[in-house]
Amino acid sequence: MLEKGRISPRQTGQLLFITTIATVIFIAPSLIASLAGHDAWLAALLGPMFTLITLLLITWLGRKHPGQTIFQYSETILGKWLGKAVALLYVWGFLHIGAMAVREFGDFMTTSFMSHTPISVFNFSMLLLCAWSVLVGLEVIARMNEFIIILIVSFLLLILFFSLPNWELDYLLPFFARGPLPVLQAALIPAAWHGNIIVLAVILPFMTRPTRAFLAGTAAIFASTTLLTIGVVGMTAIFGPELSSSFLFPLHLFAQTINIGQIITRFESVVMTTWMAGIFIKTSVFYYCAALGLAQVLNLKEVRPVVLPLGIILGTLSISLFQDVTMLGNFLKETRPYYTISLYFLGLPLLLFAVTLIREKIFGVCFGEQTNEA
Amino acid sequence: MPSAFSMLRKLLKYKLADNSSEEKQAGCRGDAIRQEDSPLLEKRLDLIRKRLGESKDIVIREFSSNNNQVKLAILYVDGLVDRRLINDHIIRPIQSDFVVKNFSHRLAEKNALQLLKKHITSISEVAEAANLTQAIRMMFSGDTALLINGEEKILVYSTRAWDRRAVTEPETEPAVRGSREGFTETLRTNTALLRRRIRHENLRLESMKAGRRTGTDVVLAYINDIINPLTLEEVRRRIAAIDTDSILESGYIEEFIEDVPFSIFPQLERTERADKAAAAILDGRILIMVDNTPHVLIVPTSFFQFIQASEDYYERPHIAVVLRLLRLFVLNIALMLPAAYVAIITFHQEMLPTPLLLSIAAAREGVPFPAVAEALLMEAIFEVLREAGVRLPKTVGQAVSIVGGLVIGDASIRAGLVSPSMVIVVAVTAISTFALPAFNASIALRILRFPLIMLAGMMGLYGVIFGLVIILIHLAGLQSFGVPYLSPLAHGSVSDMLKTFARPFWWMTRRRADELGLQNMKRQAGNMGPRKTPFAKRELTHDNTEEHDAGKR
Repeated sequence: MLEKGRISPRQTGQLLFITTIATVIFIAPSLIASLAGHDAWLAALLGPMFTLITLLLITWLGRKHPGQTIFQYSETILGKWLGKAVALLYVWGFLHIGAMAVREFGDFMTTSFMSHTPISVFNFSMLLLCAWSVLVGLEVIARMNEFIIILIVSFLLLILFFSLPNWELDYLLPFFARGPLPVLQAALIPAAWHGNIIVLAVILPFMTRPTRAFLAGTAAIFASTTLLTIGVVGMTAIFGPELSSSFLFPLHLFAQTINIGQIITRFESVVMTTWMAGIFIKTSVFYYCAALGLAQVLNLKEVRPVVLPLGIILGTLSISLFQDVTMLGNFLKETRPYYTISLYFLGLPLLLFAVTLIREKIFGVCFGEQTNEA
Repeated sequence: MPSAFSMLRKLLKYKLADNSSEEKQAGCRGDAIRQEDSPLLEKRLDLIRKRLGESKDIVIREFSSNNNQVKLAILYVDGLVDRRLINDHIIRPIQSDFVVKNFSHRLAEKNALQLLKKHITSISEVAEAANLTQAIRMMFSGDTALLINGEEKILVYSTRAWDRRAVTEPETEPAVRGSREGFTETLRTNTALLRRRIRHENLRLESMKAGRRTGTDVVLAYINDIINPLTLEEVRRRIAAIDTDSILESGYIEEFIEDVPFSIFPQLERTERADKAAAAILDGRILIMVDNTPHVLIVPTSFFQFIQASEDYYERPHIAVVLRLLRLFVLNIALMLPAAYVAIITFHQEMLPTPLLLSIAAAREGVPFPAVAEALLMEAIFEVLREAGVRLPKTVGQAVSIVGGLVIGDASIRAGLVSPSMVIVVAVTAISTFALPAFNASIALRILRFPLIMLAGMMGLYGVIFGLVIILIHLAGLQSFGVPYLSPLAHGSVSDMLKTFARPFWWMTRRRADELGLQNMKRQAGNMGPRKTPFAKRELTHDNTEEHDAGKR
């Protein structure tokens, strides 16, 4: 076994929650607003529900192949070479999404806080921390997350609470003016982020009680949907749909509007702290999944040898994938939802699901019993 | 490469193991003594004189019984024994008429041991040492050995009495309310303090030895039917594995048995308070008491033990909740206030409200150093002052505080070397450090403050958070005897979490902490909540008094 630690269902739910909320609440609101306008909150509420399909598929596959990660059971299902190809595709997917998260953070730091510092400083120093946490293992990441989740949730709620006096709910009207199509299109954006629960396909075999995986995932999705919806409502109610769609990091400006009695003011640093902690956990999880995947594909005995190369690839990707913030924003809005959902979150799990069913029902292969040694 | 390393390591280990076993053989004089040992008194005493050298504190007194049948010798270390006890209850009965009257016809070398032990000498604690080595070892703990000519076994009387410090208030952990008894340097006194607090048959005091030359007594104290047996086994194993010359303080043991000795955070709790130690035992933890030090160790422990004081459990719970939150806040201040200040002053001036920014800027005008250098300098000076204050005698300490406070605080500001705001920051940080109940935890914070300041000077708030995340990764990976260091916040149950941050009423704490995996979770009965006197009963007493009064009238 590559991973010796075990995490509880609660920790799993918390990890899934942070991997989605950490980036979605900082970036998605403006993207959603630019597509759905006044109905952005509706899109934020509906979008994540798509993810329940992914969750069902993953937990079903996890139950069919107990003790195996997605990298392992893709081989069991599709055969050695095709299975390894799918597993490698997932390794790439985790790297890609991780790189995007790091890039988002780097861009946020360089545009909003320290404009003279090159982005590579932030990206690589962040990855250094993540590499360390990958080395110490999933259990430690989960424990850190339990600490950080309190920080993130309380800070987000604090920001939202203090901004209450500035809310103008008139901005939310007119309701449903443009019809359902833009809302559905915009709903793909939060769906793309909540699809991050695909990491459950990797961490599920390391749970103390894998039967609770579905519950943990559902709780995580609902919690982050609630928080995201409140955030989107707040942002629309303060900036209006046009203005909030013009910033890439609206939460930052959102925090700047807070001013209570001249004392509770300038909340940007809180935003930065929150986001950095969140990105740290999110990237660690994705980095961990990629490293574990690569180690399992290559049949290594430990994760250690692939951590450094993957980290360098991640860092390089995070810098060279996008030229600037605008390109990042466009990619996140126009390409990412279709790319990630069609491939990683729905496409490949569906394929694995279908092949499992076909082989079981038609060819009579029985999965689940052969995996005793795993 | 890794295989080569492991090979090397194995080789080294093999070598090391080899060395230590040889050394052990050479170091153990017991075998040599055993070979030359003989029951004859003369030979034995010669051997003892040869082995122990010319130490003046070792007293050897030869005498014979009243009926001249048995030759005896008494052996003790002066200063560790009660001489009057030896004179009155060992030597005198043997030489007195008592023997003549009752045993003169029977007392001979072959039955001397039993007669002396059972009938003649009158000391409550007697042991039979099987050989000379064992007897000598016991003699060094203050016992008295009685050698009998022609007898292999040696009688060892417990006559320990030496000058010991009285039980006083623990100076490092004072409290307003609660017991003022602190542990002392004498192990027996300390165990007595525990027994006085826990009068239960299941309180076990398990004795071990550590340190080849110091032969230090180590006692594990725990309650048999509460404790997690796996933890106990692990503690025993780790202490038994210690193979060293000397154990002079519990700190030695702490370093030998810690999970991660390289960590800057203490993974064992330390206390001088007897009540705190008793409470820890009742919580299902294990106490490691070491002779010659008042500081006992508590395992396992978690990070959040360091924001708890024993007084929290004696005073009203409301104040305990407030104080614990305050200590958590103070812990953060002590760790990162200077770093945050440096980061904000250097990189994020926009975060301060404008009037505050202006006043700080005005104060910093003319200060020749950047804020990082200023902060590092002031923190370093503060550490020097602190250290000087601890080491110097009290009378001189006053001078240090005058020099420190006046010269360094006041004059350096007037000279324009440091800004007043920095002095305030450093002073607040210092006071916060003192406000934490656990001294060994605040050491970690004091050291970590410096790298954080440097990171803040390099990368602003990002650097501070970077440093904090590093600390967090480290803390999350730590374990103390199988219990995660960050529990119960991470990896714990909700009730444990509540118990850590908010001390519940005593009648609410039905269960012990989940994190330790104890055998016995139930602490007390559950129905002791707030109860009112039944209404009818109160009525009755009222009526009674009235009737009584009326009758009087």
